[in-house]
Formats: sequence, C-alpha cells, structure tokens
Amino acid sequence: MDKIVINALNGISYGMLLFLIASGLSLVMGLMGIVNLAHGAIFVVGGFVGLTIAKLTGSFLLAVLVGALSAGLLGVILERGFFRFLYKQDFAQVLVTFGFIFIIGNLLLWIWGPWPRSAFVPSYFAGSVPVMGAYFPIHRFAVIGIAAMIFFVLWWLQEKTRTGAIIRAGMDDAEMVSGLGINLTPINIGAFFLGSAIAGAGCVIGVQLFGSISHFDGMGLLLTAVIVVIIGGVGSVQGALVGALIIGLVDSFGKVYFPEITRFTMYLALAVIIIVKPSGILGRKL
Amino acid sequence: MSALNKEYKNRLLRFTPHIIIILFLLTLPTFTDLAIVSLVTRILIFGLLVMALDLVFGYTGLMSLGHAAFFGVAGYTTAILIKYYHITSFWIAAPAGVLMATLLAAVFGILALRAKDVYFFLVTMALGQLVFEIFNTSTSAGKLRAMTGGSDGLGGIPYPDLGFSFSPTSYYYFALIAVAICALLLYLITKSPFGYSMQGIRESETRMRCLGYNIWLHKYIAFIIAGLFAGVAGVLFIYFNGFISPESVGFNTGGLILLMLILGGKGTLWGAVIGTGVMLALQYFVGTITPQRWPLIMGGTMVGVIMFFRGGIFPLSRNLWKRMRR
Repeated sequence: MDKIVINALNGISYGMLLFLIASGLSLVMGLMGIVNLAHGAIFVVGGFVGLTIAKLTGSFLLAVLVGALSAGLLGVILERGFFRFLYKQDFAQVLVTFGFIFIIGNLLLWIWGPWPRSAFVPSYFAGSVPVMGAYFPIHRFAVIGIAAMIFFVLWWLQEKTRTGAIIRAGMDDAEMVSGLGINLTPINIGAFFLGSAIAGAGCVIGVQLFGSISHFDGMGLLLTAVIVVIIGGVGSVQGALVGALIIGLVDSFGKVYFPEITRFTMYLALAVIIIVKPSGILGRKL
Repeated sequence: MSALNKEYKNRLLRFTPHIIIILFLLTLPTFTDLAIVSLVTRILIFGLLVMALDLVFGYTGLMSLGHAAFFGVAGYTTAILIKYYHITSFWIAAPAGVLMATLLAAVFGILALRAKDVYFFLVTMALGQLVFEIFNTSTSAGKLRAMTGGSDGLGGIPYPDLGFSFSPTSYYYFALIAVAICALLLYLITKSPFGYSMQGIRESETRMRCLGYNIWLHKYIAFIIAGLFAGVAGVLFIYFNGFISPESVGFNTGGLILLMLILGGKGTLWGAVIGTGVMLALQYFVGTITPQRWPLIMGGTMVGVIMFFRGGIFPLSRNLWKRMRR
C-alpha cells in the first residue's frame, strides 16, 4: 500500500513538473497555432540562468524569478524576432523553432561549458516527511504545491477573466477577434512570455526531479511535453494538466511494474490515445 | 531548317546541366582524392533518403520528422543480421533491411495518419524518437543491447560480398548506380497518375476527396513507398559507413534531412540531392575547422533558410538557367 502511495506521489510530482513545461507549449499552440519546438530549450535556459543565480546569491526565490524572467524574455524575443512572421505556416514554424533548439543548446554549451547544472534545493524544502510509513521529500510536495497554484492561476486567467475570453476566442477564430477591434498582438506577446516564464520557473523549481540538467536536454523534454500536449489535447490548461498527470503516473508506475519497458511506456500511452481519440482527452477541435 | 536547328540547340542547352552533372559523377574518382569520393558517396546515399522524404513532404504535403527512423531501422536490421546472426549474404541481409523499413512505415503510417497537419508532424516526431530509444538502450534489456550495441552503436560491417571485393571507389560506383535506379523509379512514380494524385492531395485535399479519390490510401501508400526508399538508403549507408549509431535514427537526423530538402527545393527530387550536397559539404568543411560549433551553424542555416530562402536552390537555379537560355 505504502509503495503505491509513494509511487503515486512520485508520479504526481513528475506530472506537475511536466505540466509546467507543457502548459506554455499548449497555450501558444492553441492560441497562436505556433508549434514552438524551442520550448524545451527555453525551459533549459530558464534553469541555467536560475541555477546560476541560486549558486551566486543562495536565494531560491530570486533564482526562480530571474529564471522565469530570462526564459520569458527569450520567448518574447523569439516571437517578435521570428515567429510572428510565420503565423499559419506550419512547416516553416516547425523548422525555425527546431533550428533554435540547436542554436540555444550550442550557445549554452559555449557559455556554461559541458557540465550539467545540478539542482538547488533551499534549506526550507530539504528533508523528508513520513507518508504512510515511508518517507517522501518535502521538495516534491513543494513542486506539486507550486504547480497546483500555477494551474489554478492559469485556469482562472483563461476561464474567468476578460483576457482569458479573448484568448479562447482567439483560439477559435483569430481573424474574427481582430475584426471586432481587439488587438491580439499584446495578447500573443503576453501568452508567449507567460508560457516561457512558467517553463523557466518550472525548471528552477523542479530540476531536482531530474537530478541535474544539461544543455542538450531541451530536445528530450520537448518531446515529453509534446506527448503530454497530444494526450491531453491542445489549447486548454486542464488538458495539459490531465496529459501531464497521465504521463507522470504512467512513468512512475511503469518503472516499478514494467522495468524492462519503462522508457517506452510514454509512447504506448501516446499510441493508445492516437488510436482511441486523436484530438486528445480534453482537446478542443483538431 | 533553321527552326529545327534552333529546337535542337534549345534541347541541347536544356539538358546541358544534366549532362555535366552525369559526366562529373562518372569521372569523379579519376581526379579527386578518396576523402571527396567518400563525401560524394555519402551525399548520394543521403540524397536518396531526402528524395524519399520529398515524396511524402514535397509531393504529398505530409511533413514527417520521423523519416530517419526507416533509414536507421534498415541499416540496423542489416547490421544485426551480419554481426549478431552472421548472415553475411548480401542477398538476404540487404532485402531484409529494406523489408523491415517498409513494414515499419506500414505500421507508423497507420498511427501517424490518424492525425492531421501539425499533429501528423508531432506524432511522426514521437514515433521516430521511439525508434531512437529502442536502439539507444543503455543498461536494461540485455539481449536488445547485445544486438544493437546500445548507445555505442554497431560497427565493423564490411563491404557487401558480391563475388568480388569492393574498394571505396568501386563502392562509390555501386552506390551511384543504386541511387540512380531508385531516383529514376521515384521520378517515374511522381510522373505516374498516382504521383499526380499525390500532388493533387497536397494542393487541395477537399477537392481530391470530392473527385472521389481515397485520400487516406494515397497518403498511406506514399508513406510506405517513402519508407521503402529510405530503407534502401539505410542499407547502402550501413555497407558504406560500416557503423551505425542511434544518432542516425533520431530526430536530429530527421530534422537535418528536412532542412536539406527545403534548402534544395521541395517537390523537385533534384533539389533533394542538391540540398543534401550543400549541407553535407558544409558539415564536412565545418568539421575540419570548428566541429563544436556545427549545431550552431546548422541551426542558424535552418533559421536563415526558412526565414529568407524558402524557395530552394534548385527552383532558383532552374529559373536562372531558363532565363539565360533565352
């Protein structure tokens, strides 16, 4: 029993971290139709900057904020400099953003060197608490808690505010929204900033779950995030959460019960979803 | 008389570039060193892979990032048959590689074609990475690791045994002939009624559906044919390179070949080979100067080409040549 609880908690904390990566990807994909393959690289940039700040100042909060800010700024620079010329051009977006994976990864290697950044856990998140007879690290509860808060803020923003209504309308018919006299440009920039910043903060907060992070990790994480978005469905915060939790739980239980195929469980989940419901569990329209 | 003469001259001029290229390729080993011959062999083999990709992306409009998977699976199948099962006969190992690639394309096609547009692309990316993970097994799954060599790759594959022994130069001619035959077949496919309906689907799926075409089947068959030719390229590659690692399977390679295709000009077959040539030559020369910065240069080329040069080299030079002839 305690084994199941611990595995579930592990799966949920990993899933919540995946949510932090995938929500931005899903938001940008749903709102602007931009498939930002550089999202994983942006996540890593946030982590590198944040963890460097953490090492310099020892302040976790500052590290998260600076990490989020740098990732968000990078996102906005990419959007303003490149992606905004590529709306509604699927293959062009995909390849430009794909190119940035290599550029960003190689620049990180150039600036920071080939060594992976190790995680930073502040003293107040260190240690473990007993859960049903076993011990579970406080840090992972913190990841779950912070991600859950971000989920509720995003959900409230998207479902309950006027901005959220514009975002949702923009997803369905951007031309009509513009035609009604609403300027979508600041919304787009804001969405890009928010999505990237959440990813950057997520990297600083959650990197402990990976142990460390390297300059080339952007690609693998992107792939996991893409699978999360496909499973959950594009364009809704809830979809990203559901997809992320499914992948997180599948991963943690797969490690225990099917250790030989643990690296493939994610793809199995993807294949099942594609066959059963190609638009994803909570997908808008495909 | 003069009109006839002019038409003759026109036709001669039209095919001048083709003749120059064919003569160049045929005589290449006589005037360059082995490094360049080996580079051009690599260009030919990857050129075939990119031409196969052109069939799905350029002609049918299906952007696949998992296309390197078929290439890799074919190479790995042949290599495993030779190294692990000691089946050295070319006539078993090579067709088995192509067959595996084709079968994999048949399975992946069913999955990926359930998704549309961008989602198709994302699913092929995930499927391609699945194949990468299978070959990249590091610790677990002992038997698989013994077969594939895991992240270390699989090496020591000799040239095929066809009753005589190959040298790098004769393998160059072997690859040249094989790629030329495949290119001709691909050309004939694009000029067949099937090829035209593929292009019709690329231009307007709705219109083709209204005309009564089975869209799904056309896409599926195009996907499988492309997998088959990617498999041929994979088999040619493993005999040429003697070594294959998960790197040649994953979406690094998948993205690179897409870039090659767009750089050369998609939907033109010739463009596929030209784009491959430019990128591999660039990689070769960057490799001699600053290999650590190759990802930066490759990514930069990718962004630059898509932002500013989307037409491709081949269509551009074809138009220039047409204008010059006038």
